[in-house]
Amino acid sequence: MAKSSKASKAKTAKKAPAASAKPSAASDPAIAATPTLVSSQAQGKADSGQPEKQGPVLDWMNKTRQWGVRVKPGKAGLRLGDLNVGIYGEIPMQWSDQSRNPRGAVPRKGMPPVGYAVREKVGMWADSAADLYEEAIQRRWAPATDVPWNTVEKLPSDIERAICQVCTELSQFANVEIETIAGWQHQMVYGYHEVKQYLATASFDAARHYECFRKRALVNGGGLGVEGPGQVNRMILESSGGWSATVAYLVLVRAVFTMTILKYLARHAYNDAERFIYEHVLQDKARLLTYGLDHLHFAVAHDDEQPAVLATVLAIGDRVLTRDLRDPALREALAIIFGRGIRGARRQGMEMYEEMMADFMQTHLGYCRWLGIARAPAEAMPPPLNRHAGASVAA
Amino acid sequence: MSEAVDTSGEHELDLSWMDQKGPWDTKAEESRYGLTLADIQIGEYGETPDVSDNLTGRPRGSAPRPGSYRIGNYAVRTKNEIWLDNASFLYEEALQRQWSSATDVPWHTIEPLPDDIEQAECQLATFFTEVEFVAGDVPARWVSETTPDFFEARQVLLAQVMDESRHMDVFRKRAMANGGGLMQATGATSGFVGSIDLSRDFTEMSSRLHLSGEGAVLTMFRMGELMAQNEAEKAMYRLCAQDEARHVAFGVMHMRYMSAAAPERREEIHCYLDEAEGQIVSGVGNPAARGGPVGESLAILLGGGKDKFDEGMNMLTAIRRRQFREYKKRIVSAGFGERFENGRSRLMEMFEEAA
Repeated sequence: MAKSSKASKAKTAKKAPAASAKPSAASDPAIAATPTLVSSQAQGKADSGQPEKQGPVLDWMNKTRQWGVRVKPGKAGLRLGDLNVGIYGEIPMQWSDQSRNPRGAVPRKGMPPVGYAVREKVGMWADSAADLYEEAIQRRWAPATDVPWNTVEKLPSDIERAICQVCTELSQFANVEIETIAGWQHQMVYGYHEVKQYLATASFDAARHYECFRKRALVNGGGLGVEGPGQVNRMILESSGGWSATVAYLVLVRAVFTMTILKYLARHAYNDAERFIYEHVLQDKARLLTYGLDHLHFAVAHDDEQPAVLATVLAIGDRVLTRDLRDPALREALAIIFGRGIRGARRQGMEMYEEMMADFMQTHLGYCRWLGIARAPAEAMPPPLNRHAGASVAA
Repeated sequence: MSEAVDTSGEHELDLSWMDQKGPWDTKAEESRYGLTLADIQIGEYGETPDVSDNLTGRPRGSAPRPGSYRIGNYAVRTKNEIWLDNASFLYEEALQRQWSSATDVPWHTIEPLPDDIEQAECQLATFFTEVEFVAGDVPARWVSETTPDFFEARQVLLAQVMDESRHMDVFRKRAMANGGGLMQATGATSGFVGSIDLSRDFTEMSSRLHLSGEGAVLTMFRMGELMAQNEAEKAMYRLCAQDEARHVAFGVMHMRYMSAAAPERREEIHCYLDEAEGQIVSGVGNPAARGGPVGESLAILLGGGKDKFDEGMNMLTAIRRRQFREYKKRIVSAGFGERFENGRSRLMEMFEEAA
């Protein structure tokens, strides 16, 4: 935030004498507390559309908390983060206003609250949110037209069945991401709009993932497989105690797991269409990972209790993840893809799967260490996570 | 004699899952516009149930797992509550027409404006910043409460959330790009009974948000050429109008489906429309209503200054007439046109007065 304030001095004109002389609604209770909208609605008055005879009232003019702002576009255009100048870049730790008053605007008093559950910066903030938002928009892609679908060719039936199973489960992962983010987004206050806006891109990304994995499953003589076991899905959806705990499951566990799978799938893609999908979903997921790490870092830094809470949350998560991992469908489907068939799956495929899982656990534990979240030693983790946590990953 | 195969170090596989699958031998093919959602609505994968029993969140058409937990608890599980026939088209169009407020708006065309006009522009931008994301928050909530069996409709709503986020951002950018700043919020989307936020039924919400609220705003965006002072503002309104038209189309097409599939709900829908017409369409809930910060700002922008307020107000009246006409067309298209014939709607009466 210090950076923003500094930038604000450069970009924001000092309050001009005329501007500072302008009356402020905050200091003018007669105006600020006049809910003209409400009273007219309550009276059921309708506007006939006829021109008014009397002149304008114009009592809204000159009501601003800061005037004279002139943000110029930079090399990458006019970005959301560029707007955080002067008072518009002041982002308080608490946001008690439960209306949709834009940050920095003059509030109107007497408005019934919309009702938001997440009203503290520590519960949702990430410094990178504005940049991630703009990046998501710049890196948009469309599965219908950007994926080279014509490169998908007939595959041996065991491999096609395996790819379809993986796509079914990845599509279901995306569904959980959609429902989770969409379920929290409207509970977040307007004061931290950068986060709400980034999350809008994240749920839209997830919609695209839901769609592209479904398309891949239905394009090459296969179909959808069996739904996933869903224990982790349940855990993510049921983590309603706070957005930070949800982020721990959605990002530190699920997104890291999914990204690891995608990384290995990209190496073992059977055609350019699949490679395109895996790489682009990975790119989208990297933004979610950045947001998640950034947010958890902020939460841990500003709430002494948070590291211990997250440690407990993740310890519970280990046991739930273990239950999902016992299911053979995803494991064996990945092994078949990596081993280029059932025969190869029994040895090379499963070896690659084991390497992938070790990679996942090492990455996950590395992020936990970076965040300062204490995790149990590998030997105290439930199997098979203990094995993966203790294993070393080939370069 | 064949050589013995070395099986040491091989993992045993349990391949029973391979027999659990949805309909097989599916081969969707690309159409003129690529591989669209419509192209994969084939065979059983294209069949949507009238009532969804999918409580585990499985992808439609996948094989269910008997031991799965019912974690969905979806409030919207009846097709007619949310469905529309052209969802796939609207979603694909939304993907193709995404734009960036950072780079697609020619911000360099903005030049200093007279203070009254800049203030009017900033008041209007404050209003849009305030209200645009109600149309993001609310659809998001309903997405999380809708079964993935109706995912096509959900995809359109998710695209809408994205669009609204961009609208919220483009108007904030405009307010701060030209020597102005944000002004006073209107409180237009607060928690009033009957507001878009508080609707407890999707169709009620859609009638308020898509048909009435966004319909009124769409007309204003379409008249952006008249309000805009420079190319940047023209681009803003044009691009926002493009997005808003999809959102309104969602509402119209959903109502049309609902009207045909659940005629028993028609009277209820008329009641929602009665209420919306009294507030969002004809009342001061309409941003183009006379008086108030937004109406007066519009009059200044349309007239070209505070001293040409009356001319601006006349133009605003013309915009309101157009709003009425467009609203009526949408309601007729949605299948509820009889309200304009049987005297139930007062909008035409007001339109005639204004004409």
